[in-house]
Amino acid sequence: MSRSLLKTLLALAALVALLGLGACGGDDDEGTDQGGTPAQTEEGGGNVTEQLFAGSAADNRANPAEGGKKGGKLTVLSAGDVDYMDPQKTYYTYAIGVINMIHRGLYAYLPGDTSKAVPDLADGDPDISDDGKTVTVKLKKGVMFSAPVKREVTSKDVKYGVERAFTANVANGYARVYAGDLEGAPKDPGPYKEIPGIQTPDDYTLVFKLTKGTGAALAGMLAMPVSVPVPKEYAQKYDKENPSTYGEGHAVYTGPYMVESDAQGKATGYVPGKRIHIVRNPDYAPVDDFRPAFLDEVDIQAGNEDTAVATRRILSGESLASGEIEPPANQLKRLLQSNKSELSVVPGGGWRMISMDNSRPPFDDINVRKAVLAGFDRVAARQQRGGEALGPIAQHLIPPGMAGFEESNSEKGWVDEMDWLAHPEGDRKLSAEYFKKAGMSSGKYEGSEELLIVGDNAEPDKSISQITEQQLNEMGFKTTLRLVTRDTMFTKFCNVPKSEVNVCPSVGWAQDFADPQTMLDPTFNGENIVETQNSNWPEMDVPEINKEIDDAKLVVDPAERAKAWAKVNHDIMAQAPSIPYMWDYQAVVCSPNVRGVQSGYSTTWDWNFMSLK
Amino acid sequence: MARYIVRRLLGMVLLLILVSAVTFVIFNVFPSTDPAALRAGRQPTPEVIEAIRRDLGLDRPKIVQFGDYIWDVFAHQDFGKSYVANVEVLSQIRENLPATISLTIGGVLVWLTFGLSVGIISAVKHRSILDRATIGLSLIAISAPVYWLGLVALYLFAPDFGVFGLGFLGGQGSYVPFSEDPLKWAQSLILPWCVLATAFAAVYARLLRGSLLDVMGEDYIRTARAKGLAERSVILKHGVRSAITPVVTVLGLDIGILLGGAILTESVFNIPGIGRLAYDAITRGDLPIVQGTVLFGAFFIIIMNLIVDVLYAFLDPRVRY
Repeated sequence: MSRSLLKTLLALAALVALLGLGACGGDDDEGTDQGGTPAQTEEGGGNVTEQLFAGSAADNRANPAEGGKKGGKLTVLSAGDVDYMDPQKTYYTYAIGVINMIHRGLYAYLPGDTSKAVPDLADGDPDISDDGKTVTVKLKKGVMFSAPVKREVTSKDVKYGVERAFTANVANGYARVYAGDLEGAPKDPGPYKEIPGIQTPDDYTLVFKLTKGTGAALAGMLAMPVSVPVPKEYAQKYDKENPSTYGEGHAVYTGPYMVESDAQGKATGYVPGKRIHIVRNPDYAPVDDFRPAFLDEVDIQAGNEDTAVATRRILSGESLASGEIEPPANQLKRLLQSNKSELSVVPGGGWRMISMDNSRPPFDDINVRKAVLAGFDRVAARQQRGGEALGPIAQHLIPPGMAGFEESNSEKGWVDEMDWLAHPEGDRKLSAEYFKKAGMSSGKYEGSEELLIVGDNAEPDKSISQITEQQLNEMGFKTTLRLVTRDTMFTKFCNVPKSEVNVCPSVGWAQDFADPQTMLDPTFNGENIVETQNSNWPEMDVPEINKEIDDAKLVVDPAERAKAWAKVNHDIMAQAPSIPYMWDYQAVVCSPNVRGVQSGYSTTWDWNFMSLK
Repeated sequence: MARYIVRRLLGMVLLLILVSAVTFVIFNVFPSTDPAALRAGRQPTPEVIEAIRRDLGLDRPKIVQFGDYIWDVFAHQDFGKSYVANVEVLSQIRENLPATISLTIGGVLVWLTFGLSVGIISAVKHRSILDRATIGLSLIAISAPVYWLGLVALYLFAPDFGVFGLGFLGGQGSYVPFSEDPLKWAQSLILPWCVLATAFAAVYARLLRGSLLDVMGEDYIRTARAKGLAERSVILKHGVRSAITPVVTVLGLDIGILLGGAILTESVFNIPGIGRLAYDAITRGDLPIVQGTVLFGAFFIIIMNLIVDVLYAFLDPRVRY
């Protein structure tokens, strides 16, 4: 052997030995951590997540304004940008959290209670008539628009805000869903038209007149930014452009804050995709406002996509907080020990689901669906999202904290009656029984179809998609898995019934406002199956359930409404339409010198209540 | 020479149209995000989606969309508007370009300084311990993924959370334009320059080493020594001058590619450059931005190749066009 070859081999051997020593000596505590924490009992009350986060910044939600100090600047690290800064355009909870700082809508949610919206611009709860066809709202007096409008807000401004949502140049995504029954509401997006069903008998009264008794849903919608007032005489020239440039460049504000603007009112502090610079609104009139608005300035910076680095920066730095990013699930265990007071968590107000297309074989057979649900290891799917530290297994479709959840037997649901839900870790014996009921004597699927599974190619959904494929294969299904970007997954595959995707493992749904209609109607009502942007992923179309949903929409009394939707929930789950696996919680993180208060609605920090210590 | 340059510039126009066509086809043939559906939000009616599709011009035949796009670009320098942010593509590129140029120029200077020095020393001290050490280190530098290197650099040196927290450096997301604050601009780019330059410096060191070793064995080098020239003069004026030609070729290509966007470095350090813009646009199916950044990237590569070819004529008198 030549000397140079011998030297090279010796050097290699030394390197391997060095690496081997390093591997043996390392702390593999994190290495075995699959993303969850050890199980804990629920003796202390609350679920495992709530127990784990007891003593964290989540406790501040109980008394959000207590202990806050005025002054200071907070820097927010986000991955992406808001969808829109226009209050009538935005349909993204992260953006709504920002909008709530700079605009006052009719109603809003306090950080600690998302079961009921509180009056913001409104001077009291909405008055819904017994037949649900009239909703009356009174306004507070003295709320002011910022420069250059600088006048008092009136009912006509709220009316114009709702009307512009129906125009093609604004194209609000939910106005037609919840306010489409307004008398005279345009059926199709088009030029601006006054809606006769929104009446303003005086400057401080709004009366919504509906053709059907869906007033409860309309009242719920008024907690969303669509109810933010917009001065018609100022905004119309911007609304004539397509798309409207009012919100992104020329908005006027009613909240304690505003986007940094120049003397002409042009928003200089918003750089799309990069930055939103929020400063105090000098024209703010704090009329009966629950917002303490402690901070002087909030600087939101996009582009922080590496959540591990961003989390480290926040925890090591000063006056920083997370935007819509979450601390990595596989680091939560360590962070809960070292930085508990800088963490907070709230229910996400929704569920995560692996959908099955009920409209075509093989999942048009209820016994096949039950077999899959019974045998599917939902714990493994949840593990990819942080395990039980970040939420319980979803046993039905109304998330914790929402009306109808308690009426749906809380976390337990109907597992006593629906045995296919009883074993979240999967029960292959029970699964085999249901396959046999479907005529498959082997106890596994015997059909020849190849199932198309389309999932998100980013973690953790990528892993969940792979787990889904593996489990379906074990049950006898032949599958093809395609992983694409999230937007492509939705707009070209899962939201498009014609694409004939059998399984979508990366779907989920969160509330629009605190009402179970927002969870069940878009996602399981057969009348809402559409060609594009379809959210009824199982394509469930059971006439009896469709009628039940339509009837529940008309119930006005809150207690009766909760019961009605719990019944709908039960009947949907009895169909075993898909595989719900988690009511996930959303975690956020802030620097040690920040007093964090998380919003239960937007699930980000509530900027109106944040302060520096 | 002038005719050669004109010929190449005309060819560039054709090539850019071809590149644009390929990008357009890829976007429309392979499944990508439907921008109208994305903009429409969560529960839109079909009418809302159609209205948005009309506004974006997506209801027209594909060939008409493409034809209009090419005409607007070359006749009016109008690259369209972003589907997502509704801002002009050209203004977004103009806004992001300075960051990419800053990153590229600084990176080039760093890697040329280190790469060429190391390459020359390695060639001159051929087979020495220094030579072997630099070869070994350059292999590691070439193998290390840029993204990983960037994260390690931040972990070690970031001023806010780094293990050795160097205060004079800028951390992730600290980039400011040169016009705003030259000192902070430089501080924010030192780490990204070093990270970007690491692999390139290693490549250039090895390239120059190999080329110089070949050249130093030539007869005219022996003649130069025999004439009594100083060794430094022999190496630099005669050896490196001949050996540098492949380095110039690669340099032109690398600068052109980087000006199109150093996606990984910009992502790790959150630098708002062309690379980040392109990456965000791809994930969101924002075709106008993707088209714009691809065209700019292709433009820079073609121009840099042209510059390199022209430089050859000065470096090597035998080259004539």
